[in-house]
Amino acid sequence: MADRPVSRAGAMRGAAAVVGVAQVHHRRSAARQGELPMTLRTIVEACTDAGIPPREIDGFVSYAGSAHSGDVLGAALGVDEVRWSSLVWGGGGGGAAAALHQAAVVIAAGEADCVVVTRAVSHDEPERLGYAGYLFPDRYRAHGIGSPAQVCALRTQRMLEHDGVPRSAMRNLVLAAYHHAQANPLAQGHGHPLTAETYDASRWIVEPFHLFDCSRESDGAVALVLVSAERARDLQHSPAYVLGGAHGAPGGYAALGESDEPYTSAGYGGHPHGSGVAQRLWAAAGLGPADVDVVQVYENFSGPAVASLIDHGLCPPGPAAATAMRLEQLVAPSGRLPLNTSGGNIADSFVHGLGLAVEAVRQVRGDSVNQVPGADVSLFIGGPMAPVVGSVLLGSASTL
Amino acid sequence: MIPPPALSPSWGPASDGLDLPYWEGLRSGELRVQRCDDCSAWMPVPSWLCRACHGFDLSWLPVEAVGRVHSWIRTWRPSVAEYADRSPLITILVELASAPGVRTLGLLADDGLDVAIGQGVRGGAGHNAGPGWELLVWRTVP
Repeated sequence: MADRPVSRAGAMRGAAAVVGVAQVHHRRSAARQGELPMTLRTIVEACTDAGIPPREIDGFVSYAGSAHSGDVLGAALGVDEVRWSSLVWGGGGGGAAAALHQAAVVIAAGEADCVVVTRAVSHDEPERLGYAGYLFPDRYRAHGIGSPAQVCALRTQRMLEHDGVPRSAMRNLVLAAYHHAQANPLAQGHGHPLTAETYDASRWIVEPFHLFDCSRESDGAVALVLVSAERARDLQHSPAYVLGGAHGAPGGYAALGESDEPYTSAGYGGHPHGSGVAQRLWAAAGLGPADVDVVQVYENFSGPAVASLIDHGLCPPGPAAATAMRLEQLVAPSGRLPLNTSGGNIADSFVHGLGLAVEAVRQVRGDSVNQVPGADVSLFIGGPMAPVVGSVLLGSASTL
Repeated sequence: MIPPPALSPSWGPASDGLDLPYWEGLRSGELRVQRCDDCSAWMPVPSWLCRACHGFDLSWLPVEAVGRVHSWIRTWRPSVAEYADRSPLITILVELASAPGVRTLGLLADDGLDVAIGQGVRGGAGHNAGPGWELLVWRTVP
């Protein structure tokens, strides 16, 4: 589908591909097992999905302060050699898509051949919940602020009240996720359809967020296996090629004590002295917002997800967001901007957002439960309003 | 007036000492912001060096606690134990008039107010923040 000016594309465009995926999730605290065994099981299952022996994995990437480093995972799996092990810095899910990007960069550079991206959450292992370790300084806590919901709410309130983005943009993003979850038997919101009336009547967590604006909390693990494009062609699934990725933070975004500009960005926007994550993503892939067939956008909360879409040029800022974010535009198979087609963090499960990456791969393979017909360009936007953010574009062979 | 927090609060300076002058200022009803001695840039967060000119000489200066509401939230599900019985709690983010580019969090004297972005506010002494430490309390002004 894509009409793209290839000349702008980066050197690593299409050099690596996701060839195996696996995920498991339970309701919060229901896993009854720790992060490490869940991580190892999903890695083995992702290797089975790819048709690659686990011992051939030679690279490990995670994010959000994961405790499970490449040496530990490599030893447990009996790999031949660990050639790469890294963690994307920055709290929260901001590193989710950045981890995929990093794995692709490592393969494109020839530093490793088979890199697995992992993330696991077990609420019964609180000491390992890297993302729960947000330590808001006393300047925040003394003013009643001790959770990510509250700082995201501050930015979202200004997006609504000052910028004029309508509440309907947030509501419809949530309704689209619940709509998609009804076709996904594994989604935790399956069998629980959501109406606009129920959304509006749900209790406040922190204004402007209702209960349904907030992601689930799940136990679980996710693994994605990446190899070079050359090797990917000989494997059993259609490869999801990494067309481009970018991560970072404009200026000192979200590390400036709520003083950064622009305050209502999700962090993907530009800066007077930098082009911004979204612009670098499009440049790396040689694509633009109009080329995207399907989007998985990380919703810790609905408002920051809308801000992410605005940052990426997929939705106009201000009151004009109302038209772009009409519900029928957001649902597969016929919407112009189908998003969170498995139910996302809000209606499927929340393993720190990496389940969204699996769904982005499924859309390229053509086996989503809410498949977008002919989806060739699949965008995964990682955690918004985090100190470091990132996004990654996946594509079918026809996009190369 | 703001009722006292549910539990005895324990907020105060960070262990590295960087923001100690901020808390010392609040105890005397004074809002202090860090400024670069060399280029006069205001620091939005406690800093070890100037983020504009990279000089290492910074001073905490008193600034007038006057500004406008840049954003606000009303918390119905408390995340900070000391505020467990203070729901809903309004927290405002104030854009300071006297230190361009610097915003500060604040509590309103009257949680029953309808607050709006752009509303003028002024801070004054008066809210217990822990053993020997105080917070500013903000009131709306025309």
